[in-house]
Amino acid sequence: MSLFVQSLVLGVLLGGLYALLAAGLTLYFGVMRVVMIAHSAFLILAAYLAWWFTNETGLDPLLSLVLTVPLFFGMGVVMQRSLISRLRPATLTMMSVLLTFSIALVIEGTLGFVFSGTQRRIRLDYGGSSIEIAGANVAVVKLIAFGLAVVSLAALFLIMKKTQFGQALRATIQHPEAARLIGINTERVAGYGFGLGLATAAIGGTALALDSTFYPSLHWHWIGPLMAIIVVGGLGSIPGAAIAAMVLGMGQALLQIPLGTTWAQTFFYIALFATLMVRPQGFFGGRLAQRF
Amino acid sequence: MPSASDTTSVSTTDPTPVGDRSRRGSMLLKAVGLVALTVAVLSFPAVAANPFILSVGVVIMSYAVLATSWNFVGGFTGYISLGHASYSGLGAYATGLLVIHTSMNPWLAMLLAGLVVAVLAVPIGIASLRVRGASFVIVSIALVLILLLVFQSWGSFTGGSNGLRVPRPFGPEVLRPEQHERFFYLHAALLAVALLVWWLIDRSRFGTGLKAIREDEDKAQALGVPTFTYKLIAFVVSAFFTALGGGMYALWFGFLDPIFQFSILVGSYMVLMSLLGGIRSLFGPFLGAVIVGYAVEYFKNQYGDTQFHLVAMGLLLGLVVLFMPDGIIPAATALVDRFRPQRTSIREVSAADLAEQRRTADPEAARADQQSRTDDGTDVPDASAETSTGAATDNDSPTVTEGARR
Repeated sequence: MSLFVQSLVLGVLLGGLYALLAAGLTLYFGVMRVVMIAHSAFLILAAYLAWWFTNETGLDPLLSLVLTVPLFFGMGVVMQRSLISRLRPATLTMMSVLLTFSIALVIEGTLGFVFSGTQRRIRLDYGGSSIEIAGANVAVVKLIAFGLAVVSLAALFLIMKKTQFGQALRATIQHPEAARLIGINTERVAGYGFGLGLATAAIGGTALALDSTFYPSLHWHWIGPLMAIIVVGGLGSIPGAAIAAMVLGMGQALLQIPLGTTWAQTFFYIALFATLMVRPQGFFGGRLAQRF
Repeated sequence: MPSASDTTSVSTTDPTPVGDRSRRGSMLLKAVGLVALTVAVLSFPAVAANPFILSVGVVIMSYAVLATSWNFVGGFTGYISLGHASYSGLGAYATGLLVIHTSMNPWLAMLLAGLVVAVLAVPIGIASLRVRGASFVIVSIALVLILLLVFQSWGSFTGGSNGLRVPRPFGPEVLRPEQHERFFYLHAALLAVALLVWWLIDRSRFGTGLKAIREDEDKAQALGVPTFTYKLIAFVVSAFFTALGGGMYALWFGFLDPIFQFSILVGSYMVLMSLLGGIRSLFGPFLGAVIVGYAVEYFKNQYGDTQFHLVAMGLLLGLVVLFMPDGIIPAATALVDRFRPQRTSIREVSAADLAEQRRTADPEAARADQQSRTDDGTDVPDASAETSTGAATDNDSPTVTEGARR
């Protein structure tokens, strides 16, 4: 029983991180119809930056967020304006996959080149401590990562719902032409939307760096589950992605008990195939997902 | 003749200006080129300086088979699969496991493996092709990742991370260099079959339908192309040939490791090769395979095990996508055509140019064009396969003539 509770809690904590990252992927897809393969590569890049920051300065890796979040936001804007928007609209979905795939390769290769392929880990004084919640032992770092994810998701939600920029962003997602007609500079908004998506990778990467080892090619282990999540949730729907992330994250954690870590990972892919067979537009997707 | 589906074949038909004489000339040129290419390929083992060079040749031919097989779905339908390594890997493992467990004839095993993979590809295709592009790519990547997991974990059956040793099809009396030579020819034969099938599809009504899907799936569907069935068939054919390529590689190399068989990198090589050469051209993937395959082997030789080849590969792919998405062959043909004297007064125009012209032209002509479009648009797909001289002469509006000439 305690094992069950333990897994459930871990699943929720993992699901929070998945939800944040999937929200980023959904943003890209929403504003540009782009499947951003490089998302998890940026995640690992952020983890490496946090590790490097801590190594150089001796400060807490969480402080690296002050640098990486604006940096990633800027990179996202530049990437959208200078690379993605150059692609022909007719073949955008396919070509953007290739373009972001090539970006992922360059990031992975550069990380391997600069930091070598060995596994890295940040040593923290509070790294080993844990708290008991409802009979489950939970590492403090996992709680911090979860808290980070929840706070960022809430911030993202507030930005989308309460600010004028968020309104413009949602308008751009829903109907770009109509948004342009009422005077929204959709290109600039799309750039910022991209930046916002990449900022989630910065936060997620720092959270990841807190409690696990990482290496340059780790991003392939993240992109598969993340993409499964956005398809199950319905391409383009942020709440859908968050719910799917929670459900699948918990499912994976629970399946680890009988099946072991490796086979539990296949759960995501089985969910992906099942969704496409039963309900190809995803479970929460609206109009958008139908055609992509 | 000008109709919506005409635009689908804009860049697939031979852009050579066609008169009867010049068409015969270009056919002759093509025949000569084909013979020269065949001779060059067949004589390669004889001129290869040493067995190492020959083995590089085999690798390149293997890439060429894979890229050409990829192009059945990528080139015709425009659906880009980053995970075709799934099918080559499955084909390789199926061949190896069949040979080991049933000790059947290796070539029969290879064919059987191809069929097994083709059958497997049907449900995968149904799942991934029901919705447009994005899900297809996601499934293709997910499939590679899932297969890597399964083949690594299921050690008792697949050999797991230790790999699987595949017995060689030729006896011990066949030495290494001769082994390479035989496999070079075998790969070349498989490539020839794949190219032939691609060529046949390209000329068929089926192929025209596929290309219509690539250019505008909504319009194709509206015109009555059974898009889902067509996509699925192209996908299964592609998986079949890819599996054959994988199986032959397994028989040649004799050792399989999940890390290399189900690698996303191998799948992206296929994409890069096809894209670089030109996905709309018959020989595009082959040309791309020669260039990229050589570059990959060179990098491996020079820089060994560093991560540098990832950066190089990523940069190259990014550059191709940004600046040359149509590939080398179309770019080169366009360049040659520019220096060739224009033989007819009828110029080649792309769909975008034409739309621009129509916008700037006087509304009268535009309306006339519109009218003739609706009049002639009835017999659809076959009209676009060949540009024929007589097609448009009965029309006197210049815009229409150009439209028909495309």
